[in-house]
Amino acid sequence: MAETLRIGVAVKHGVDVTLTRADRATGRVDLAGAPRKTSDFDKNAVEEAVRLREKHGGTVTAITVGGPAAREALREALAIGADEAVLVTAESWSTWDTRAVARLLAGAYRTLGGFDLFLVGEGSTDHFGGLVGPRMAGELGIAEVASVRKVTIEGRAVLAEKDLEKEVEVVRAKFPVVLTVGQEINTPRLPTFMANLKASKKEAKVLAPPDVGLAPDSLAPVVVVEKVAVPEIPRKQVALAGASAEEIAKGLREALRAEGLVP
Amino acid sequence: MSPERIVAVSEEPALLPDLVRVGRSVGADPSDRVVAVLLPGVPGDAADRARAAGAHEVHRLVAPASTDPHVLTSALEEVVRTLAPTLILVGSTKRGRELAGRLAGRLDLPAASGVTALRTEGGALLLDREALSGNAVATERIERRPAVLALLPGTTAPSPSVAPPGPAEDRTVAPVPPLTETVEVRAKAGGQLEIEKADRIVTIGRGLRKKEDLPLIEALARALGAEVGCTRPLAADAGWLSDDHWIGLTGHRVHPKLYVAVGVSGAVQHQVGMRSAQVVVAVNKDPNAPIFAQADYRIVGDLYQIVPALTKVFST
Ligand SMILES: Cc1cc2nc3c(=O)[nH]c(=O)nc-3n(C[C@H](O)[C@H](O)[C@H](O)COP(=O)(O)OP(=O)(O)OC[C@H]3O[C@@H](n4cnc5c(N)ncnc54)[C@H](O)[C@@H]3O)c2cc1C
Repeated sequence: MAETLRIGVAVKHGVDVTLTRADRATGRVDLAGAPRKTSDFDKNAVEEAVRLREKHGGTVTAITVGGPAAREALREALAIGADEAVLVTAESWSTWDTRAVARLLAGAYRTLGGFDLFLVGEGSTDHFGGLVGPRMAGELGIAEVASVRKVTIEGRAVLAEKDLEKEVEVVRAKFPVVLTVGQEINTPRLPTFMANLKASKKEAKVLAPPDVGLAPDSLAPVVVVEKVAVPEIPRKQVALAGASAEEIAKGLREALRAEGLVP
Repeated sequence: MSPERIVAVSEEPALLPDLVRVGRSVGADPSDRVVAVLLPGVPGDAADRARAAGAHEVHRLVAPASTDPHVLTSALEEVVRTLAPTLILVGSTKRGRELAGRLAGRLDLPAASGVTALRTEGGALLLDREALSGNAVATERIERRPAVLALLPGTTAPSPSVAPPGPAEDRTVAPVPPLTETVEVRAKAGGQLEIEKADRIVTIGRGLRKKEDLPLIEALARALGAEVGCTRPLAADAGWLSDDHWIGLTGHRVHPKLYVAVGVSGAVQHQVGMRSAQVVVAVNKDPNAPIFAQADYRIVGDLYQIVPALTKVFST
């Protein structure tokens, strides 16, 4: 009996950290109006999901939790090769914290009938907290393997290489399992023109919190952001120039002597 | 305001003393308690070190050692039920974040990771955390307790003057079947270098044309008595250097007195790793490279000319 593989993947439309600017006077960053993009690691997650489907068959469902603009992340996931797209949204989406997002993903997981494998980026480009995947697995009471750099399917289980600070742990986990993946797992394909065109025509299924079993007021943030600011690090900004490389090098030696860093 | 009861978890034993110190600084009232919890299999001296850092109590969980997140969080769930903490602290390492997230999901608790500072205000927790890929600091408020916080390695507080005496207490935890099975553990290549502790670092980026040119950088590092660091592409993509040299958001955060960035553009994800360097020197042929905005001393030029000259001058 061959069961079709059901793969879910979470994608986030997050703040583009390369384009955010702090207010010069206050150092504060206004995230409400900041430009957004699909989180980098989430594209790796979609790519890995699609590769597994290409090898083993089955379906890939991309799920995003967010506002209307998050459809862009779904479009990108579809262009990479996801089969279905689901947007979990409500008016209050911008207030949702990590807990709300993980609960909504867990709710969507249940509502959609469960998955064998559920892939999540190890951290989002903007928040980079690394909590959503394990938190969702905890909510669901299913296995998870975080920081995965390589995954293979063996029957109804995965063999996953978990990249830790000092070691690599090879872990076997039976389905269902949540995997969090980083950039090193693959290089996401650049979708073809046709794939992009097809993706932009596909409708996403839209779910509200009650559709996934959650009352909107149960999603009020428990971790409330008071402010986001860029710390001011004063740097001397001294340009060292000279007629030759050696002259410049001597200039640096003088400077570092004055700093007490070289004899 | 009810007393704080803070549990510091030894997921990474080396970080436990710092977790205890931060716990003591948050729970500074005489009625507050800081409890160090040793996960099964943690070496015995961790108890003494937790005590020396100021833990009021040390609890050693007795069960077969495991790295399965389900087994570990189940043990911690029991700790939460029996010790009724107001706050649970772990290290913001890869495993620490995984445990924090999973535990928070099991018990529906507020959680945050990458925490760099922590204080209370009334009964609320106020924390600073890395945000925007480490480019910014978010200040966040948590009213609901208990909360689970993963503290970035290096986050600490002064040791309290008195270490309360007392033996470690053994606590048997009910075994649960694991959900994952460890097949193999491989040490990573390199792995010996502790670049986060280095006093001086010469970091090389993609300005280096080929691996064979690395000795150029190593010679400069030697002349300065520095360790060699690198950007992500050199470790993760090219594999020219092992992961222990990698500096940045997904690598190591370093705190040297001297940081020399050579052929490094200065992407935000790199900057977060070197932000707390005292003196930064940048060598780059592009005068508009973002690294220059982070530099005390800027050298615009070709590294293949500048670096040998620097090596010569600093060797004599
Ligand atoms: C989620 C995420 C996490 C990341 N984590 C990290 C991380 O932890 N650490 C990290 O470093 N990056 C990280 N990155 C990658 C980061 O965005 C940059 O891509 C990376 O830092 C660039 O490395 P680089 O400066 O070596 O290369 P480049 O950006 O290519 O810069 C090379 C520089 O060398 C200069 N140069 C070239 N030739 C010469 C020469 N002959 N002489 C002098 N200068 C020369 C160029 O002008 C250029 O400025 C991450 C990215 C993402 C999306």
